[in-house]
Amino acid sequence: MTYPKDQTDALRPYCKKLSSFEEGGITFLLLERLKLPDGCTPAECDALLCPVAKDSYDSRLYFETKVVCQYNRNWNAADVRIGQRNWFAFSWRVVLPGTTLQGLLIAHLNGFAKAA
Amino acid sequence: MEIRLSGQLYNQVVADLIRPHPFAAERVGFLIGRIGSTSGNPAAVLLTQYRTIPNDHYLDDPKVGARIGPKALATAMQLAHSGRISGEGIIHVHLHGHRGETSMSKTDQREIPGLLPGFRAVNPSAPHGIIILSLDHGSGWIWSPKATGIAQVDLISVIGAPVKVFRRGRV
Amino acid sequence: MTGSRYSRQSFLGEFSEDAISDCIIGVVGLGGGGSHVVQQLAHIGFQRYVIYDDDIVEESNLNRLVGATSVDALAETPKLHLAKQMIFGLQPNAEVVAHACRWQERPDPLHRCHIAIGCVDSFKGREELENECRRHLIHYIDIGMDVHGTNPPVIGGQVILSSPGGPCMRCMGFLTEARLAEEGRRYGDAGGRPQVIWPNGVLASTAVGLAIDLTCNWTCQRRTREYLSYDGNEFTMKPSLLLRNLEGLACPHFSDTEVGPPILIEL
Repeated sequence: MTYPKDQTDALRPYCKKLSSFEEGGITFLLLERLKLPDGCTPAECDALLCPVAKDSYDSRLYFETKVVCQYNRNWNAADVRIGQRNWFAFSWRVVLPGTTLQGLLIAHLNGFAKAA
Repeated sequence: MEIRLSGQLYNQVVADLIRPHPFAAERVGFLIGRIGSTSGNPAAVLLTQYRTIPNDHYLDDPKVGARIGPKALATAMQLAHSGRISGEGIIHVHLHGHRGETSMSKTDQREIPGLLPGFRAVNPSAPHGIIILSLDHGSGWIWSPKATGIAQVDLISVIGAPVKVFRRGRV
Repeated sequence: MTGSRYSRQSFLGEFSEDAISDCIIGVVGLGGGGSHVVQQLAHIGFQRYVIYDDDIVEESNLNRLVGATSVDALAETPKLHLAKQMIFGLQPNAEVVAHACRWQERPDPLHRCHIAIGCVDSFKGREELENECRRHLIHYIDIGMDVHGTNPPVIGGQVILSSPGGPCMRCMGFLTEARLAEEGRRYGDAGGRPQVIWPNGVLASTAVGLAIDLTCNWTCQRRTREYLSYDGNEFTMKPSLLLRNLEGLACPHFSDTEVGPPILIEL
């Protein structure tokens, strides 16, 4: 599956390098050195955006490491194997039907910046 | 190191290589493969596709089993170039019509390894190599991206039904 | 392998002993299903193993964990240790790569396997294992059982063979988004799933039989796909009708070129 170019272009300012790959019928977006919101440790890391429904989430943002932020998040996905790497994700439900990839990314990153 | 391919791909290769050629005694083909690991340790080369060489891309040379012409080489170089993004390299393959472990004949040693530097120049970050099959075995040599030369692999695994394991030193 | 130990399984073929000893077999999960699998593989003569389990023996395992004793529950013996004991007790010269962790934490050894048998207890776990096996051209055999309902309870299970180039568990209708989503919603729900030894035994034995057939082709069927449904109440194992509909169709979920590291397309 290919995503609209204008939508993927809008993701580029958030990371150092943007790529896509296929696995199991899903096209994942790899955001290398994604800049995380202020107060996060690390300040940037690789992230994987799954814009389609997977594992009971409408969309999900995975991180290469557990990120520490001001809120205590439930990292309910640990060492999830996708694309030959291990990923982590916290429980954060984003339901924004019809939104853009940028909208999804921002909504997921809000998990570090907003209480709930 | 290991070379690994699916049973489907192996059957495709063998079916092509055992076909009679109008004048060549043997057939040659090109397999496409990638390093299997992201860890940098080239433990396995995984083969994904096969390219047959059309009859008219051979040269009629009775002194050797098979000689491929410039069109076949150009195709191979194009494949090597196309594999730059995906890290896919070219593996030259042919079949000796006997049973048991194979090795490079004098002609093979003279003719085939010389192709690899060209593939490597076009695509230095992919593995390139040679496979010689027999009717029930196979041997392989790979030039890994970080290696200074080609090395014989320890085994070739065919993941089909049944699984075939061609182990170096096992006849 | 020589001698009379394997004389009763000579029907597997003239070269079956060599084929079995050459095959590198992985077993992920050494609980109720995996412990049966390892026992049988060791008896039959497999010599090269890659095994994973990060769990210890507990009292509640003793109703089904092959090889475990009351002492193991008291001692909190790692399940990995039981499996190694089983293998080396029958095959003292076996090569066993054993990891007391989830396979995702040390995936490289798994990649050497020719056949991997998944004895895990989640759809998510199965999905990840199958993905990895496809990327590394490994035959994947999946087993699992469940008990649901009451009056009477219904025991079900499956043995699935997912091979490179063939239909995957999604094609077979076993792995679905609905199942994965439901499991995701139940994440963290307390309580162990019902498990008993005899269905595990049936499923494990069938999986091992499939592995032997992949190694020796003694049935001459050259099977590269299988989906067997276990009905524990009727004591039957039957091929799933879903497989028939997949004859000749390419798997749309894994392309032939999707092996090794993912091919990243820069955007």
